[in-house]
Amino acid sequence: MIFKQLIELVRKEMLVLVRDRQTILLLFLMPVALIFFMSLALEGVWADKLVGRKISMVVDNQSRSYQANLLAGKIKAHALIVPVERPAGADVDRIFAEGTAQAVVTIPPGFEEGDRPVEIRFDPVMDASYRIAARSLITSLAVEVVMGVDNLEAVVSGLVVERSGPNRELPTPLQQTVPAYAIFAMFFIAIPMSVGFLREKKDGTLQRLFTYPVSANLVTLGKITPYFLINVVQFVLMMLVGIFVMSRFIAPAFHAGAHPWHMLPVTLAVAAATTGFGVLVAATAKTPEQSSTLAATGAILMGVFGGIMVPHAVMPPVMKKLAMISPMFWAHQAYLDIFLRDAAFGIILPRLIILTLFAIICFYVAGRKVRWI
Amino acid sequence: MNALDISSVTFCYDGSPAPALRDFSMAVADGRTHALLGPNGAGKSTLMRIITGQLQGQTGGVSVYGLRMPDSKALSFIGCAPQPISLYPSLTARENLRFFGAMAGMSKDQIASRSDWALEKTGLAESSEAAVASFSGGMQRRLNLAAALLHSPKLLLLDEPSAGVDPQSRNHMYDLLMELNAGGVTILLCTHMMEEAQRLCSGLTLLDRGERIYDGRMSDIGNLEEFFLKKTGRGLRDL
Repeated sequence: MIFKQLIELVRKEMLVLVRDRQTILLLFLMPVALIFFMSLALEGVWADKLVGRKISMVVDNQSRSYQANLLAGKIKAHALIVPVERPAGADVDRIFAEGTAQAVVTIPPGFEEGDRPVEIRFDPVMDASYRIAARSLITSLAVEVVMGVDNLEAVVSGLVVERSGPNRELPTPLQQTVPAYAIFAMFFIAIPMSVGFLREKKDGTLQRLFTYPVSANLVTLGKITPYFLINVVQFVLMMLVGIFVMSRFIAPAFHAGAHPWHMLPVTLAVAAATTGFGVLVAATAKTPEQSSTLAATGAILMGVFGGIMVPHAVMPPVMKKLAMISPMFWAHQAYLDIFLRDAAFGIILPRLIILTLFAIICFYVAGRKVRWI
Repeated sequence: MNALDISSVTFCYDGSPAPALRDFSMAVADGRTHALLGPNGAGKSTLMRIITGQLQGQTGGVSVYGLRMPDSKALSFIGCAPQPISLYPSLTARENLRFFGAMAGMSKDQIASRSDWALEKTGLAESSEAAVASFSGGMQRRLNLAAALLHSPKLLLLDEPSAGVDPQSRNHMYDLLMELNAGGVTILLCTHMMEEAQRLCSGLTLLDRGERIYDGRMSDIGNLEEFFLKKTGRGLRDL
């Protein structure tokens, strides 16, 4: 009988939820929209961070000497350069203002005699590291031409060797936003959960429930279970959207790491934390309106601190430490461990324990505070 | 056997200086219809909640068909139609009944057949698949009663069952309650409508400021409203 009652409690909660269009929009469409637009916004930031991006450049050869032509040819042919023709009559400021190119290289007359240097001008908004890279490249090519060396990089390859491991800190836009806004939306479940509880309390259906042989524990379980399941569905849907839809529009494509199955325990722990948060809000607030504000504000603050809105990797050191107060940080880092660092289960376990502890504390405090009638 | 026995119940809400019920006793014999009347704040709703086990912590005792509350078997004897419309507005009438039937421990088949019966009896058969939110006040009130009747309770607790309904719905409801009582269902009616109490009930308990001030037969009272005002006074009871 208890199991049958639980099934009906879950069924009722699901029916009430799916017939509430605003809630469905909040739980499913909001994160999809956030993932899409935030990924697009972050794509620009990542473009300057990730290796392999090219620099668009106008090469203005005013010398036309053999050496000048050779240098211009080398610059235009280099793999990191996208040569751009100077639009007729356009000065440098207009080139940058219209976004035609990021840099303009001028090879002046007399360059081959060493009378005048090659001049590089950069778009003022261009990232400093890019300027350094572009400047080094042009210097190397100029040295090759002046010294008569065919490939300077090949000559110095024995002197300097780059040894850098794969990127394990900076997620791609989709690796950042897909789990981030999935977690964010999962925490938003606290709104319908707490509002539903308080509305039932206000309209008397909760009190009526206790005129039947039903225990408070069963009612609690019946309220938590559907939201827990919805959390899992939310995460799966967001992942599918990230992998199969967003990857078509936003580069690079989503990469889920070497152990994607580790997402399961993390998602279950996150769902426990979010439902715990929902129960705590429901037990703390006095009216549905109050619970709605409390849950939304709580989720947004956790998102701000937890590296959801601003990626943790680019936060200043103080904020990086403060992030640890947010359960969203632990949840997000657990997913990034899987996507970026191919983490073994032992690595993500401490994060799971923290999320589970957060859930237990929420349930405990809520249990002490809740007034059913 | 009495359907309901309440003996020396005293109950005080947390933080309240005065008890909501003070040494209150009453009994309702099996198969009777009994009215529980009192001004606002008299303690009627508190008593209803104590009977159904929603409120606990009182001194004294409550028994339903000899079973001391709280008791899950005794709860299955009780059908309760609370004063607020305690239904899920986004669910249909039948979905609401299915839910409350399952909470009462009924089987799927029992729920199906009793839902048909309850919907028919409350005049809602044709609206059974409509969302409760689309119902008129009278229809919602009747469904509120239907949910209480679903599991064939022996003791029906009704708190203002006809509040806010039109005369048609009210009379339909009275006929149904009389039919149920004729079939052996005991009814405890909590109402502010004196005419309703006098029409439906054979016994009466008056409650004021948490204390019983009258307990007797309805037939001993001529004009109930005058009797009520005489016993409880004409002063306003704003809380």
